[in-house]
Amino acid sequence: MPERSRHLAPMLSVAGVGLVLLCLISLLIGAGDVGAWRSLETLFGQGDEQSRFVIYGLRWPRTELAVVVGIALGAAGVLLQSVTRNTLAEPGLLGVSAGSSFAVVMAISLGASASSLAFSVAVVGALIGCLLVMAVCRLRGVGSDPVRLILAGAAFSGFLSALSGLLLLRDQRTADEMRFWVIGSLAGRPVETLYAALPGLTCGLILMLPLVRPLAALALGEALASSLGHHPQRVRLGVLIVVAMLVGTANAAAGPIGFLGLIVPFMARRMVGSDIRQTLWLSLLLGPSVLLGADIVSRLLVSPYELPIGVVTAFIGAPVLIATVRAQRLPIL
Amino acid sequence: MKRFELPCIGDAMATLETRDLYLGYGRRMVVNGLNLHIPQGQVTVIVGPNGCGKSTLLAGLARLNKPRSGAVLLNGLPIGSLPTRDVARLLALLPQDASAPEGITVNELIRFGRQPHQGLMRQWSSKDQLIVENALHAADLVELADCALESMSGGQRQRAWIAMAIAQDTPLLLLDEPTSALDLGHQIEVFELVRQLTNAGKTVVMVLHDLSSACRYADHLVAMKAGRIVIEGAPDTVVTSALIEELYGVSCVLLKCPQTGTPVITAIQPLPHKQQKQQGQTEFLAEEFQS
Amino acid sequence: MKSMVVRRPSHRAPAGFWLLRLGPWTQLVSRRSFVAGALLLLLLACACLVSLTFGGSRPIPVKDALLVLAGQGDAVSRLLINTLRMPRILAAVLTGAALGAAGCLMQTLARNRLATPGIVGLDNGATAFAVASIVATSTSLLPSILALSGAATAAVLTFALASGSGSRGYRFIVTGIGVGAMFSALTNLMLSQAPIDAANRAYPWTVGSLNGTSAVAIRALAAGLFFGLPWACLLGRQLAAMGFSERVSISLGVRLGALRMTTLAATVWLTALGVAVAGPVGLVALIAPEIARYLARQRGVPVLNSAWSGALLMVVADCAGRNILSPIEVPVGIVMAIIGGPYLIWIVLRQPDRRVQ
Repeated sequence: MPERSRHLAPMLSVAGVGLVLLCLISLLIGAGDVGAWRSLETLFGQGDEQSRFVIYGLRWPRTELAVVVGIALGAAGVLLQSVTRNTLAEPGLLGVSAGSSFAVVMAISLGASASSLAFSVAVVGALIGCLLVMAVCRLRGVGSDPVRLILAGAAFSGFLSALSGLLLLRDQRTADEMRFWVIGSLAGRPVETLYAALPGLTCGLILMLPLVRPLAALALGEALASSLGHHPQRVRLGVLIVVAMLVGTANAAAGPIGFLGLIVPFMARRMVGSDIRQTLWLSLLLGPSVLLGADIVSRLLVSPYELPIGVVTAFIGAPVLIATVRAQRLPIL
Repeated sequence: MKRFELPCIGDAMATLETRDLYLGYGRRMVVNGLNLHIPQGQVTVIVGPNGCGKSTLLAGLARLNKPRSGAVLLNGLPIGSLPTRDVARLLALLPQDASAPEGITVNELIRFGRQPHQGLMRQWSSKDQLIVENALHAADLVELADCALESMSGGQRQRAWIAMAIAQDTPLLLLDEPTSALDLGHQIEVFELVRQLTNAGKTVVMVLHDLSSACRYADHLVAMKAGRIVIEGAPDTVVTSALIEELYGVSCVLLKCPQTGTPVITAIQPLPHKQQKQQGQTEFLAEEFQS
Repeated sequence: MKSMVVRRPSHRAPAGFWLLRLGPWTQLVSRRSFVAGALLLLLLACACLVSLTFGGSRPIPVKDALLVLAGQGDAVSRLLINTLRMPRILAAVLTGAALGAAGCLMQTLARNRLATPGIVGLDNGATAFAVASIVATSTSLLPSILALSGAATAAVLTFALASGSGSRGYRFIVTGIGVGAMFSALTNLMLSQAPIDAANRAYPWTVGSLNGTSAVAIRALAAGLFFGLPWACLLGRQLAAMGFSERVSISLGVRLGALRMTTLAATVWLTALGVAVAGPVGLVALIAPEIARYLARQRGVPVLNSAWSGALLMVVADCAGRNILSPIEVPVGIVMAIIGGPYLIWIVLRQPDRRVQ
């Protein structure tokens, strides 16, 4: 219907402008003794060696990474909520992130340390988490307990983090390497990480495209979607593979950053309604915006130290979770 | 048809009525200024179109909802002011979405009905045992006493739930659409059981979807629309084709049942202007989601 | 009085129950539950004995252990048992009992077999406060007290944020998850900023461990259990009627609101006590009630049996943790999670809970 597309375009532009602004702010502030004014000058070409290093060597890669990870997690969040028809679903809560973290821990403890290997391992781990989601989804009838999925995910995450804990107990070297990785952070990641993340992201986004329409039909319920000519199980499997790719890539690049997959769909729904054909495109812009915003906050709040970004997203995301469930009815997807 | 004598051991009497009752959710008023007196020892059936407030009214009568204004009076006292345990000894409700713990047997289910009469220190007595066994007989479930509820047919299951309400030994019994998910044969089972209960002196209030059954089994019919009572009385005096047109927006022809003399509804047709609206909606849906 | 079909009851008590009578007071005891309880206690005693004797670096022969328990035995064994192992086993038993009972109550309250007190944020709250105390100070009692207050704070917060929801189960659970996530983030924050030795000291509090539990804390736990466990049993009786849909429970005269609040309070009380001694060993609360239900096969709320199976699980897990990767000690929380994880996945992948209509 024409009215809905009209709604989307202005929202996309608002989100786009917001994103650009946030990128700019991200370049202007932060640690490294380069104040906002000097950063602005440097961007226009008039800075000294040190400023240029801070801006282009530190803040620019960080901003880029935030955008990449934000796109991945935002899209994954919308997709996951749509395929589970559950507005409380989130890759972190459902154990998908835990799967990829555990896979990385296991790979590192088994001797691997090449960063590109970490990416594929993380994707495989995320896939295992997704398979659990699929198994639970398949068993659930339509309209049954939405919390069951969350509880299963929580239990699964707990189990995997205990296994990781066990591995780390035995292996001090891995423990030291993992101590900082395990807390999600955009800071101090080598530049190669960004390039290593791009294939996973592009692959995931490309695979996502043909699945959007079927996913919208799936929102009507399995029986109805089948009668319209789609294959619900195949669609679900495809979407979960995409989610695994996106989440695994994001995790390998920046460590587990939770709640983004909850905040972004929440905002997108507020802005354009529940139809995935609109929320998905919006999430590609909202994801990086929210992550950049959180990153900026983490840099500003206890300056000159930094808060781990996972903490900031948790403190935004948890109230979002609580607010979502406080509404009279859970929005039906 | 068997005749049962039922264990109305408690000769407690209970009167139930509403006075200017307003019930609603949020801003919306669902029941508007209702005055209803439930006749004792009879089957009262509440009917009406979807959204008229009949289920809400029943919930209000069973103290599940708080009135916005006005009151529900049990034995002359506002039902909300009585301790819920005492109310449970006078009034039993079988809701539409009743569910029980997994794997429960008929015996266990019926035993729960005795809870309002028991206490922490007084967990079981021979009186309880007596009533449970009689309830089993009354609902004709003696052979199925140890069967799991989920393995039984719809009609048997409903009878088991009613048996639990019988064991609760209350003078008042409220049933919310007890037969909507049942086939014809099972429906009749349930209705006959309800009839036995009133013969033994209980007062039953039912919300029914199906007007024909309502006409057949009600002693007192209450027709609701938009939260108000349109008319109430005995079915054969109250049910006319004008009433059906007002409630459901359909035209029909009423016949008289040869066996019971109650109205039977036939030749139902939607009124002309409604037909066009429905067609338009179907076309829209088909367009939208074609793959 | 109207006439009845059946004049005299055919049995004294419902099938499978014993009726205890003392004048006007009557109590129903499920036969199967009783037998299950006895079995569990027997297994618990055996497990304790094994744990006492089978001790990693210094195994003690069974005969000597029994002598020590009777008050005699050689000095070395006495030292080992009385100062090292016995307190630890006692802590395991008490913690397991508290968490098992709390888990049973919580599952009944939430009407969901996957619910643990931990997911309502209690575990995470306790951890956050305990870690805070270690990172900030270094006395040994303080973490336990702070863990207790942490759990209580999380519970109050969850309840406050979820209130006005009409006591809907899922709203409460999800709010608890949110609150738990915030506390978990706080813990991560503190651990990332803390110096390495403080972080290492705080580590057991993040996974749940029975190493180095203080005697005072254990005594407090015992006292708390002394009141808490009977209270939980009484509640368990009333909670049986909550297995029905809400409207049926209300029709049966159950005071839902008050019962829920009281049960929640009891759950928090027991969990907070357990977590204050052992840290976040959440999965005991999940598995123990399952074992109890499986053994008793009763539709009731097996609080006492859950307590005994919880104790059994903790003792076994602790023993395993001490001996499997010897000389490294695996914290009991990790052992629990590893046993519990596959079991959990199994529950989830079974047929979903069907409610009988």
